[in-house]
This record gives sequence, structure tokens and C-alpha cells, in this order.
Amino acid sequence: MTGPQEELRRLLTRRYFFGTAGSGIGAAALTSLLAADGFAAAPEDAQGAVAAKFEPPAPRGPDFAPRAKRVIYIFQSGGPAQLDMLEYKPRLRQLHGTDLPESVRGNQRLTSMTSDQPSFPVASSYFDFQQHGECGTWLSSLLPHTGRVVDDLCLINSMHTEAINHDNGITLLLTGRQQPGLPSMGSWISYGLGSISNVLPAFVVLMSNGSSQRKDVLPLHHRLWGNGFLDARHQGVKFRSGADPVLYLNDPSGLDRSEQRRLHDRLARLNQLQYERSGDPEILARVAQYELAFRMQRSVPELMDLSGESQSTFTLYGERSRTPGTYAANCLLARRMIERGVRFVQLFHRGWDQHDNLPADLRRQCGDIDQADAALITDLKQRGLLEDTLVVWATEFGRTVYCQGKLERNNYGRDHHPRSFSAWLAGAGVRGGMTYGKTDEYGYNIVENPVHLRDLNATILHLLGIDHKKLTFKFQGLDQRLTGVDEEAHVVRDLLT
Amino acid sequence: MRSVLPRVTFSPGLSAARRIAVAVAVLLVLPQSHVRGEDTAAAAPTAAATLAIDFASEVRPILSSTCFRCHGPDEQTREAGLRLDTREGALGSGGEEGPIVPGDVAASELIRRITSGEADERMPPPDAEKQLAADEIETLKNWIAAGAAWEEHWSFTAPTKPELPAVKQSDWPRGPIDHFVLARMEQEGLSPAPPAERAALLRRVTLDLTGLPPTIAELDAFLADESPTAYEKVVDRLLATPAHAERMALDWLDAARYADTHGYHVDSIREMWRWRDWVIEAFARNMPFDQFTIEQLAGDLLPEATREQKIATGFNRNHGINFEGGAIPEEFRVEYVVDRVQTTATVFMGLTMQCARCHDHKFDPISQRDYYRFFALFNTIGERGIDGATGNARPLLTLPSDEQREAFYAVQQQIEELSGRMTARAKEVTAEREAWVARRLAELEDQQSAANDASTSAGTGDDAITIVDKIILLPAEERTDEQRYQLRKYYVDNFDEEYRRLLAERKKLKRQSDKLYAAIPSVMVMEEMEEPRATFVLNRGLYDQHGTKVSGGVPASLPPLPEGAPANRLSMARWLTSPDHPLTSRVTVNRFWQMYFGTGIVETSENFGSEGTLPTHPRLLDYLATRFVETGWNVRAMQKEIVMSATYRQSSRTTPAKLTADPQNRFLARGPRFRLPAEFIRDNAMAISGLLVKKVGGPSVSPYQPEGLWDEVSFGIKSYGGLIYKQDHGDALYRRGMYTFWKRSCPPPALNTFDAPEREVCTVRRERTNTPLQALVLLNDPTFLEASRHFAERILAAGGSSDADRITYAFRRALARPPTEAERDVIAAELAERRAAYDRDPAAARQILSIGESKRNETLDDTEHAAWTSVARLLLNLDETITKN
Repeated sequence: MTGPQEELRRLLTRRYFFGTAGSGIGAAALTSLLAADGFAAAPEDAQGAVAAKFEPPAPRGPDFAPRAKRVIYIFQSGGPAQLDMLEYKPRLRQLHGTDLPESVRGNQRLTSMTSDQPSFPVASSYFDFQQHGECGTWLSSLLPHTGRVVDDLCLINSMHTEAINHDNGITLLLTGRQQPGLPSMGSWISYGLGSISNVLPAFVVLMSNGSSQRKDVLPLHHRLWGNGFLDARHQGVKFRSGADPVLYLNDPSGLDRSEQRRLHDRLARLNQLQYERSGDPEILARVAQYELAFRMQRSVPELMDLSGESQSTFTLYGERSRTPGTYAANCLLARRMIERGVRFVQLFHRGWDQHDNLPADLRRQCGDIDQADAALITDLKQRGLLEDTLVVWATEFGRTVYCQGKLERNNYGRDHHPRSFSAWLAGAGVRGGMTYGKTDEYGYNIVENPVHLRDLNATILHLLGIDHKKLTFKFQGLDQRLTGVDEEAHVVRDLLT
Repeated sequence: MRSVLPRVTFSPGLSAARRIAVAVAVLLVLPQSHVRGEDTAAAAPTAAATLAIDFASEVRPILSSTCFRCHGPDEQTREAGLRLDTREGALGSGGEEGPIVPGDVAASELIRRITSGEADERMPPPDAEKQLAADEIETLKNWIAAGAAWEEHWSFTAPTKPELPAVKQSDWPRGPIDHFVLARMEQEGLSPAPPAERAALLRRVTLDLTGLPPTIAELDAFLADESPTAYEKVVDRLLATPAHAERMALDWLDAARYADTHGYHVDSIREMWRWRDWVIEAFARNMPFDQFTIEQLAGDLLPEATREQKIATGFNRNHGINFEGGAIPEEFRVEYVVDRVQTTATVFMGLTMQCARCHDHKFDPISQRDYYRFFALFNTIGERGIDGATGNARPLLTLPSDEQREAFYAVQQQIEELSGRMTARAKEVTAEREAWVARRLAELEDQQSAANDASTSAGTGDDAITIVDKIILLPAEERTDEQRYQLRKYYVDNFDEEYRRLLAERKKLKRQSDKLYAAIPSVMVMEEMEEPRATFVLNRGLYDQHGTKVSGGVPASLPPLPEGAPANRLSMARWLTSPDHPLTSRVTVNRFWQMYFGTGIVETSENFGSEGTLPTHPRLLDYLATRFVETGWNVRAMQKEIVMSATYRQSSRTTPAKLTADPQNRFLARGPRFRLPAEFIRDNAMAISGLLVKKVGGPSVSPYQPEGLWDEVSFGIKSYGGLIYKQDHGDALYRRGMYTFWKRSCPPPALNTFDAPEREVCTVRRERTNTPLQALVLLNDPTFLEASRHFAERILAAGGSSDADRITYAFRRALARPPTEAERDVIAAELAERRAAYDRDPAAARQILSIGESKRNETLDDTEHAAWTSVARLLLNLDETITKN
């Protein structure tokens, strides 16, 4: 193999995969390589054009100095009950059992699960709330660990959305529109910023089931990490807890690593020979992809292997973090991914949809997440990663103050509530210890500082140094964007440091 | 109107190349983070400043993307009453001057405003997202100076058959296509590549027309056939194969968003494969495209519609369907109609009609009212917004086999017979009933008097008893027929043993009948409601915000429906395929072109509107479109004409100079070379290895898939179909990729990795990416390892006895060519290494040979078989193997 081509191969492995952001030096070198490879006769800008054929368009990069380089986005699927966890409404104790006044309910549409209910009795939380941290934020007794990091959290109690059921709610949250067909947030960010790592994807997805009775009754969907009309390289790569953390990662043929190496080399050689005959640079790109696949077979197991983590780390995240596939293990993995240069880690945790049996179910669900959430923040902070990592904790909608079904002393349920709910942010560029937005005494309608899902998305992009109006992709004749073509979306500057 | 100055023709490939070139050049000097599209565009040299400007390719795109948002078709957002998307608006009419004065830059208000230094005069306003670049302003000035020639948007005018252009290299063209392509090449200073080598051409055309590779026998036959019609014979042979019909159907499945699950929420099973088989059958019969269109859009409305014509309408039932608990039915029903509009408009017209759902289209002449008139055509189906929990959602067409029909009717008959016996029995027991009534009456009277005495309630709390008791308490002659019936029924239901026995028997039969009915296959179809639903403009596109009522119709800017034709789907389908429709034929032949050359003549095959790309070869497109109509919409004839062209038959080999001049091969000075679609990568490996099962159609199959994939995303309550992956065995493992069960929330991973879409929405253009995950699939998916093992068996069985012969055989099977010496050396080295290794470690040999469920030939030596499996694996992983060359 010739020297320049060896070099090209090296270069491509750094530049092509997962839309890795190239450096100016890389492009220059690539162009000069092409010149060395028989393209010398071509004018310089035309060499560039050829170089461009090797490469998908480079990521556009940020519009301004980013506060966050990476994101861990924790999606709690199903709608955790904000009034039992994050939003303290002391007046509800007195209002418990009274009918939610029609004046409060207004003409808001309800799901067909409760729209025919003869009454809408207010259910105050079964759980007590305590104040935490210097900021004195009230959190329910379900979240004692979260209380310890509350000074790092920016809690928003005025989130709102239009969707009233899960499928379109989730799709709106994670793709910017209720109907299928658009790219997910992670793939927009991969498209905009590319990967930091040479050997790991820009956008990784981790999933866990909840511990509630409804641990998995809400389905997840490929479109939530899909690439929509963007290039498929920006699709989220699912990392799984089994033997093959990435699909088809392991070689089942029984070849050892050095034998595999030789197989790869022969494959590269054969492809190289074909390139020499046909002249299509796409072949070299393919060679480079195989090389990266080979490297991923090392980098991914290394990433997934928790054996090097200290006992104090497991103590921090809780012993469940030793069990692959749990939420706690995924939080720990998220930190490892961030350390290794994954741009956007998306966690999905199922089991939040407490239409009934809320007190018992919520205790289990919060048991899954409370310690792990706090550990993730603490761990990132200890390692200096929280400074440029944004952690987002969000869901598709909240739950009603009124009880779905029969209100009992120790048991109740809550229906979907798009009008107001809670989310929190932490880390890079976000004001810790803050509570933003306010609802009425029933916790039903927002009375101060509403934050639409699109505003949240615009804010996330802003923290990454991206103007949400400028991160566009032309499709169907429109400059498409995560925050919608026509819709309003505003960066919530009050949340930022 | 045309200027005498040399015309700057549109050259998207080159201008794209130029843009990229500049971008790369800038990359050389600037750190990455500073490089932005706009900056580089601004830095581009202003070419053609002194040349005449072409309106369609250079001016209209500027006006469209910069000005139409506020000065375009959307009346609601139009500012200052000015529109720049029409000649009248821009140039004035009826003696009134417009903002553009042809030939007079200084007098043109438009120029004054776009160059004004005053912030409140400047256009676009300084806070607008789109600003004009200096070269764009220059272009507008030059265009006005040259007379401001105006043309309507090209795709809204019906195509006319163009004259064949003159070419210099007049011995090259084999047919009209080549004249157009060559003329363009010559304009660009390019010349055609030599013809592809015969073997390469055979492989290319076989993969293109069937998605499968040529067999060695086919290869030998073609190489031996020296007649001038040898190639044409191959083309005719391929076009007549079932595999060709499957190949054509694949692209249509993407367009029609075909899947085996409902998509929304639980994403459980549906059965639309009979529609899929209808499509394959239509291509197999070479159904004319107009009929293909009419039957799928409105087969149910055809006079005396056949079963097949009704099945065809499944096209517009392939959209996602929701049955999420608590969801509001009308919200989703509206989405289904929206999906039909989007799919129909995209597939047949290349129009982004969905942009007019919430407001008038910003760029194309489609008003919101137009949108809802079109919407109305799809809005009168007897469907429910929340449906599909038990499989297909109504309206349905049931498709019982003869046995199923007989069995079902037999049970129905038994039920009827039993019902008759039950009615008779109820009459037979009149005396017993009367006696019971009398006893009960006495009881009730006793109770009543007791109650009166004690003033306590004596009700049993059972409503049924209460109702019946009330009847009993009535004097017999005052009872209504209904009450008499209730009384009779109550008595036999509760007290007559014989009747109760019959009732139980009938219940059993009914369950049996339900079961039989459930087993009868069905397909979701279009079927008009008896009382059509009214359609309203939906304000902001919201399902519950009704505006004015509208009737069905087609966009006003397109030709009207024929006079007197009812405004329904059938008229619309016929309208789409009428010869003067400007879009249908163009959009369709463009997709054909895209299939063979990787990119359409219009690159944005989903958008022929104002914001779509312009055709690289507009006259070629119009030639093909008019030719298509002229042949009677003969799909197969069009495929043949394309693959018979000299353009198609060029070698794909490229040189630095060609690559430099036209990196994307938009001017076709070389043959097409690109990676196969996902399904064909699989099919190709199956065929090379000999595992392929060539059964056409039938229910979708479940081949190997990594464990647990569906579980990770599935709804927890598994009582719905399509939530638990049950892998098939035997033949079903080796079917073509297009038959793989398509679950939208978890599309087949190996196919999805190679850019197969989710099939949630209409897709007419797939991306072609190149990722490491693809390498992992080809290397490690058991599908491909089993294919390697089987391929090795074929090599050993049929490839001769020496290594050299076998290597040659393997190459010819996989690549339709013998290996070069250098390639042979690489393979020989692999063989030698694997033989030695497997000799040392027989367990390793058995491991690679144990992958996959197909039986292996146990008489083969393990070491030898395993070593050749490794060779086969190398070959199946080659770029060339997964590439149409």
C-alpha cells in the first residue's frame, strides 16, 4: 500500500465516521493527498471538490461560544407526577377531595379516560415535602438524594405542551412535532456539531424499564432517536446491556483479535485494488468505515466494562448500578460516555404513567432514579465534567391535580396533564438552585413564566452554542429545524448563568 | 425574449461543486468553527456578471427563498399587497408599473429597496433570517438590465415533446436519451466514457432490474452470445422475471409507507401484505401506470370494482393508525387524512402540499383552501380515529379462502337453525310461562302488602327483576309487544332448561364463528361512507378548529377537473393521469431515473415546487415524461429505454479529471456506480450463496434478528400481535429482504443500518450513507455468516478442484468477473492461514460452521469448509459486492 493512501486511510478514519468534525488541517491534508494520488493536474479548488466527495458535509459547528459541549438527556417516559415529586403545593392539603372548580379547569380538553368522569376531586400528594439545600427548594420525600444536589438543579415548574397522549407527546418533545417524520433532537445535534470522539458515535441511546407495575406499558419508538430526513449517520446508536452492546459488534466466527486484524487488512487490500481500477473514492471511504468498526470492537466493550470503577462510585450510584440495564447502570454509563467524547447521550426510563395506584408505583419509580440522578450530578461535578456537560431531565407532560378514578385515602391516580409540568436542568451554563415558573394554587394552570417544550429545546441548543433558528436542513422546500418552521420558540435566558 | 448573449445554463452539479470547492478552500485557512455556509457563499466569486441571466435557474430561486415568505402566494402573510411570485405582481399589469421595470435598474423599486441604506426601507428587513448576498443583488440587477424575462415555474406547465438536440459526437447516441445527455455533456466540455465491459454491464443491469446478481450460467451465456441483440435479449429476459416485479415494488413500498404494524403507540400488527402482493402482481403484469394510479387511489369507485381493484386502494390505508387509550379520535382521524394528502401529493405530483395545511403555501401556488379541497377527497372514508387494536382497522375487505367461506357459512347456518329452534321453544312453553307469571304475580302482591305494612323496601335491587316484575304487575292486556317479548325472554333465559341448553350451544357456535371470522384474512381499503362527512378548512391545521366548509377539488393553479366530473377520488385519479397534467409523468419518470443513476434528473424527487432543485436535463425529463404518456404509461418500456441507452451502458470507471469536473456524476459522463439498497444487499448475498428462496409474496417473514430488540421498545402487555418477535425457521429465513416483517417502532436493524427508512411517512428518496455499523452487519450478522458458509459449500461443490479454479468461481459468482492476480494472492493467503489455523484448532472451524439454521453438507472436511467460509466472508464484505458497478 502506498504511503499517501495509508495516510488517507488514517485521515478518513478520523473524519468520516459519525460526522466527526474535521479540522482545517485535515481538509488541507486531504486535498494535498489527493494531489499526490493522481489529482495533481486538477486546479486546486477542483481538488477540493473531489475531497468533498469523500466527505459528507462537515458539521456546521456552533454559532457562538458554547457553554455546554455535551448533553445527557434523561427522558422519563410516561409523565412523572410533578405534584408528588417536584412541585410543592401546600394548599392542596386543604383542597383535598374538593371538586376542581370548572373555572380552573376551563375549556381545556381532557383525555377520553377522564373526560366523562362525573367529578374531578383534587388529590393532594400522599407524600410530604421537605426543603433542601441552600436554595431551600421543596422536594417530596420520594427524592431525598436529589435533595442533596438541588443547589445544582434548575427546576422548571412551568413546562407545557399541546399533546395530550403519549405517542404524540413524546414525539413532540423529542422531534419538535407531534407527527412522525422529523429527526430526533440527538440527531439534530449530531448533524450540527458532529462527534467529539474518533471511535464512538455522536449520539447514543440507553434504555431501562421502570420498577412500577407499569414498568413497560409505554412503548418506545425508533423515531425518538431516528434521523428523519437527516443523513442516517446522525441516527442514535442504541447501546444495549447484553453481549452485543452495539448490534453485531461481536465477531461470532471464532477468530481472535489478530486473526480479525488480518481479515480486515485483506479486505482493505482487496478494496484498495478495486479502487485502483475504478477510481471511486467511495471505496476508500468504505475501507475507512471497516477500520472504524474494527476499532469500535475495542472501544465499545471498554466503555461498557464497569470493572474498573471504584467501590465508592458504586456506592455513590447505588449497588443497582452493578446490574447492567438498570437506570443506575445507565447513568454511570452516561458519565463514561461523556468522558469518552460522546456528544449526546439519551436515557429512556419507562414506567411513569400513574393513572392509578400512584403512591405505591411512584415510590418504586423514584427508587429507580433518585440516587442515580443525584450520583450522576455529583460524579460529573467531582470530575469537572459538569462545567461543560448539560444534564436535562424531562418528560412529555405532567399529571393532573384531580384524581383519575376513585380517590381513596391512600390511593389515587392522575391523568395526563399537558398544561403544566416539571423538568430540570443542571450543569453547563445553567443556574443551579433555582426554581422557575409558577402554577396556580391547584398546580393546574401556569401563572408565571411558561416554558414550552420548544423553548426548552431552543435553550438546550443555545447552551450548545447553536442558534435554534440557524440549525436548519432544507427538506420539502422548507428550512426545517428542531424548534419548528413556523412555531415560536424562545431561549429562556432567565435560566442561564 | 431570450437574450442574444450566450446563455448561462443551469449547472447544479458544477455550482454545487464550486460551492463545495470554495468551502474546502476556506477550510484550508480558517479554523472549523468559523466556517459557515453564508460566509462562503458570500466569498464565492460573482460569476457571469456580464452574461445574461436565466430566470428559472438563477433569479427565481433568489426571489423564492428570500422574498416569497412575505411577498408570495400566502395571502395571510403578504406584506404591502406585493407579490413577487407572479408576473403581474413583479412586473406590473394593466399599465401599472410593478416593483421591477424591465430594462431599467434605476427605476426599479425592488432594486432601490434591496440596496437601500435606510433600515426601515431595506429589504429584506434587517431582522429577517434570509438576507441577500452581494452576488444575488448583482444577479437581480443584471437580470432586470437584460429585460427581466419572466417564466412561470417550469413544473406547472405541461411538458411538450422536445426536439432532439444536435450533438457533435453523433455516432455515440443509441437513442433519444443519449442525445439529451450528450448535448449536456458537450456543453460542459465532457465526453462519454467507453462502454462498460460486457460482464460488468450484465451484472449492473441484472442488479438494477431484479435486485439480484447474474448466475454463472447467465454470465457464460451472455459472454458467448455475439449477436448484436445479445444485450437486448438479456434486458427482455430480466424484465419478464418475477424478480423484476419485486424490484419495482420495493421503491413503491417506501413511497406508500408500507409496514406490518400500525406505527403509533403500541405499534401492533396489521396485515397489508395482500396490498403489497397486488403491487408486485401489477408490475409483473406490466400494468400501465395510469391504471396503476387509478386503481390504487380510487379502485373502489370504479364501476363494478373487482376485488383486486379494491385491494389496490390499500395504498392509502398504509398510514399509521392509533389506538392509544385516552386519545381523542378526531385528532387522529384527521392525521390519517393529512397523511393521505401528503403521500398522494408527494408520490404523484412531487408537491409539498402539506405546507398548506396551516396556511397558504409560502412558495408554491397552493392555498390553504386548495389544500382542504384536496383533503376533502380523502375525508369521507368510513374509518375511526381510534382503531386497530385487534389488527386491521375498518373499512376492511375480507378475503376468505373457499374453505374459510364454507366453514364460516356452515356455522352461520347452524346458528340460524338454532335460533329458529329457540324461538319455537319459547312459544312451546307458553303454559309453563303463564303458570310462572301467575306465581310470581302472587308473590309480588304478597310482598307489596307486606311492604305496605312494614313501610320497608322490599326491592331486590336487581334491575332486571324489577323491570320484569313491573311488567308482571301490569294487566296482561296493557303489556306492549316489547314487554311481552321481554317477559318471554326472561322466562326461558332463566327457567327453561331446554332453551338454556340451546342458548349455550348457540353461544359456543358464535364463539366458533368469531374465531373463524378472525382467521379470515383482510386488507384495509378505501370505502366511501354512505353519508359523506363534511370537510372544513381547519384553522391552523387543528382538527377541532373548523373554518369554512369546502367541497372536494384540485389546486386552482393546476388544470381543472374535467367539466361535469364529480369531485371525488376517481375523478382526481383520472385527472392525475390525464396527458395535460404537468406533474405526474415527470415525477414518475424522474423516480425511474433515480433508480438507475442514483439521483433523479430533479434531485429533490419529492419536491418539484419552487424550492425544489431544478432539473439538470430539463428537456430529457420532458422527453421521458411525454414518451411515457405516448407509450400508454408503459412502465416496462420505460425501464427498457433507459437501460438500453448508451448513457446507461457506459463504464463507471472514473478518472481524476472526470471526478474533478463532475464529482456527483450529474452530467453522466460515466456509468452509475453506487451502493445497493439495503434489501438488495441481503438478496445479493442470499443469491450468491445459493440460500435464496425465490417465493413471491405472501405474509411477511421474520428472519434472524438480535434477541430482545422488540422487547426493549414494546408495550408491556403482550396481548396484541406484533410485540414479540418470533423468529421463523426454514425457508422463511431466506426470503428476499422486502418480505421482512416491518415493525415501524423497530425496523429490521440490518436493513435500517443500510438506510432503509422507518416507513412512518412517504419516502421517495433514500439516503446512501457509509458507516461503521454497516461494516459490523456485513461482518457479523449471522445472516451473512451463514451465507458465507453456504457460499463456501457451493464453491467446493461446483468451483472445480484446484484452489485457483475455486477462487475464480467464487469471484465470478460474487462479482461476475474473474479475480486479478493480486486478488488471487490475497485470497490464497487467507486460505492458507485459515487452513493452518483450523487444522490446529478444529473447534474454531466448527464454530464458524455452526452459524445459521440451514443444514450443512456433513461430508465436507471441517477445515476446508471453514477456510473457504472465511474466503466467502471476505468476498461478501467487498465494496464491489454491495455496489452496483
